[in-house]
Amino acid sequence: MIPLDRYPKEIVLRNGTRVTFRPMVREDVDLLWDFFRRIPLEDKMFLQEDVDRREEVDRWAQTLDYGTVLPILAFSEGRVVGDATLHRNMAGWKQRVGTVRILIAQDFRHSGLGTVMIRELRHLGEKVSLHYLLAEVIEEQQTAIRAFEKLGFERMVVYRNYENDQRGRLHNLVVLLYPMSDSDEELFY
Amino acid sequence: MPLSHVTCPACGAVLTSHSRKTGAGKIVCPYEGLAYSDLRAGHDRIYFGPWRKMDAGPSDIVRAYHQIGRHLQSIGRALGDKDLPAARRDLAKAADAFHSGDPRDDSRDTLRFMDHALSYAHRVIDDLLHEIGLPSHAPMDFAEWYDAVEVPFRDEW
Repeated sequence: MIPLDRYPKEIVLRNGTRVTFRPMVREDVDLLWDFFRRIPLEDKMFLQEDVDRREEVDRWAQTLDYGTVLPILAFSEGRVVGDATLHRNMAGWKQRVGTVRILIAQDFRHSGLGTVMIRELRHLGEKVSLHYLLAEVIEEQQTAIRAFEKLGFERMVVYRNYENDQRGRLHNLVVLLYPMSDSDEELFY
Repeated sequence: MPLSHVTCPACGAVLTSHSRKTGAGKIVCPYEGLAYSDLRAGHDRIYFGPWRKMDAGPSDIVRAYHQIGRHLQSIGRALGDKDLPAARRDLAKAADAFHSGDPRDDSRDTLRFMDHALSYAHRVIDDLLHEIGLPSHAPMDFAEWYDAVEVPFRDEW
């Protein structure tokens, strides 16, 4: 179980704006849909899910399972301005690896919100005894990569021309890994 | 009394470069009223210290080394038994880096280890601030109080 008693959590950004973090609940579906609708097309190209389909967002809301996907939403003035998800495999060889995905509203970029959300997911990952956090970022998103690295993620590999956007252009994918508390244990069989 | 022997009433740091006196003689501290002001001031005093300059001498490096040691102890006290595993690990990494350096050894490695220790320490301060909902500490916000060059552009995600 992920301890969620720290929510709702209020955060002050560097520009003085206040945002509130809390896990997504079913009733947030309209706000989340509105958030995705405002995301620029060029950013949606790199998302792993088709957030232009309302039924897809509805399905997430209806099937929330914090054990496998924990979405932490950032709210400001009644709207969603950030979405950070911690993905986990509950079985199998990757069950100690959590994957983090973060999406920030366009008008909240460069405010430090992305960095704060990484920090929040890192904290949650520690609480559920993950060994690694993994993030995948398109190489052009240098500000995001720097934010991950600043918080201890290490650039492990760059896959050249690995991803294609909806216009068919190829992009490099950077994989970053954050080793956690227990990652030094049981390294050898 | 020399200024270096005075402790700042606001942040607890030894008054050297970061504090100034107003016309009325009152000491002004840029960290006054900020959370973890002592840790911020302690960090910045080292961060902007002479040991990182091109013309740093051996005594600057030895002094900074011991400042880092005391800074890590202060952070450890502030961290106490707080349930912040990432911060605790970063503090351990800072201590490792600190102990890997030897200021008597005139090598670039020592400076690198000191730099790493300070960087990990900064992360711990940021974790402490995050837990109370505050933004990360940005040393460059205080650069004007030190003999430091302002960076022209800072980007954040």
